[in-house]
Amino acid sequence: MTFACTLTDETPLSLVELASACHVEPAWIAERMMAGLIIEPIPDRLDNAVFGSRALHRTRSLLRIERDFDANPELAALVVDLLDEVTRLRRQLGEIPHSIDIL
Amino acid sequence: MQFKDYYATLGVERSASQDDIRKAYRRLARKYHPDVSKEANAEQMMKEVNEANAVLSDPEKRAAYDQMGQGFQAGQDFTPPPDWGNGFEFSGRGFAQNDMHDASDFFARMFGQGSRSHHTHQMRGEDRHAKIVIDLTAAYTGAHETVQLRVPEIEANGQVSLREQTLQIAIPRGVIEGQHLRIAGQGSPGLNGGPTGDLYLEISFRPHGKFRAEGRDIHGKLPLTPWEAALGGPIQAETPSGPIDIRIPPNSQSGRKLRLKGRGIPGEPAGDAYLELQVVLPPADSDAARDLYKKMAETLPFNPRKGNGS
Repeated sequence: MTFACTLTDETPLSLVELASACHVEPAWIAERMMAGLIIEPIPDRLDNAVFGSRALHRTRSLLRIERDFDANPELAALVVDLLDEVTRLRRQLGEIPHSIDIL
Repeated sequence: MQFKDYYATLGVERSASQDDIRKAYRRLARKYHPDVSKEANAEQMMKEVNEANAVLSDPEKRAAYDQMGQGFQAGQDFTPPPDWGNGFEFSGRGFAQNDMHDASDFFARMFGQGSRSHHTHQMRGEDRHAKIVIDLTAAYTGAHETVQLRVPEIEANGQVSLREQTLQIAIPRGVIEGQHLRIAGQGSPGLNGGPTGDLYLEISFRPHGKFRAEGRDIHGKLPLTPWEAALGGPIQAETPSGPIDIRIPPNSQSGRKLRLKGRGIPGEPAGDAYLELQVVLPPADSDAARDLYKKMAETLPFNPRKGNGS
């Protein structure tokens, strides 16, 4: 049996669905949204907000860093930003040939 | 089932204080956290460290574990006593049901006790997450992929066991790395007849020998002969969606990038393909080849280390 699936970018999640997917209360996400740590721009009404894959990935990463290191939300967001940047740069590095002839 | 020595996992004595356990956990989390660790087995080690911390950082679980595990060594064959858990209440704390598919059989059996929960009302099952690795070409065409998951199941006696589950997933055309596929009803089972949670699969691409993706855009190299680069003209270039005919501008150099609009991953709009030209010299491994290079040196006064190379 093959399961059909939906893309969260085409059928985005509501605040409650995002909270359920991350196993946190909606208030946990709302607090970080209002601090600009999850998505920007911040919508006028939180219950109108919709979230795609990027927000889901970011929220889970924030949660993991906060939980595993007892980090405060701002610090966790900084770590997630840096990790995303490291991942992007590592991908680019993968393109650079590694063999260097030393003369 | 093998006994797990959680104290050894965290590297602390059995008499360790809660503060010692917290410090040991943070030290190991920094060492093995998959987001930052360079250790080869970081992901597996982090799971074990998380599991040990989930038990030892929770006073109720720790007390139950200490009582049960007296005299047992790590790896020793272990059968839980029939009265296991009596007098303790530790369900649903410290280690989410969602994480149970990452847990060892030992943890799932000992601490994943759904029916010990005092919930009597219906509860939706928790959403689960996993990764799915697909070929880059599958993003162009769509594909059917198989994923294998470990699913926690609540048995009639209330204990949790892990079951292997294989799912066939229809991957839609046009997916990109980091996107999530949501499969309704394939998460953790609900409690007391509540609905099942959903499964989220995060897409990543298997490394492709020639191309890498950045969002919907594709980046790769296009090897050229010196005469193709110098004279320009039509050639056939490889892309993840198959070969296409393109025209090389004359006087092209290595490093120049050609943008093939709409040849990236399909979407609204589709991404672009960027091909970086790479001029490859024929080897001077025969008299004829060496003569030809000598003739070029005599005919073309050229010093690439002078000025802009012209």
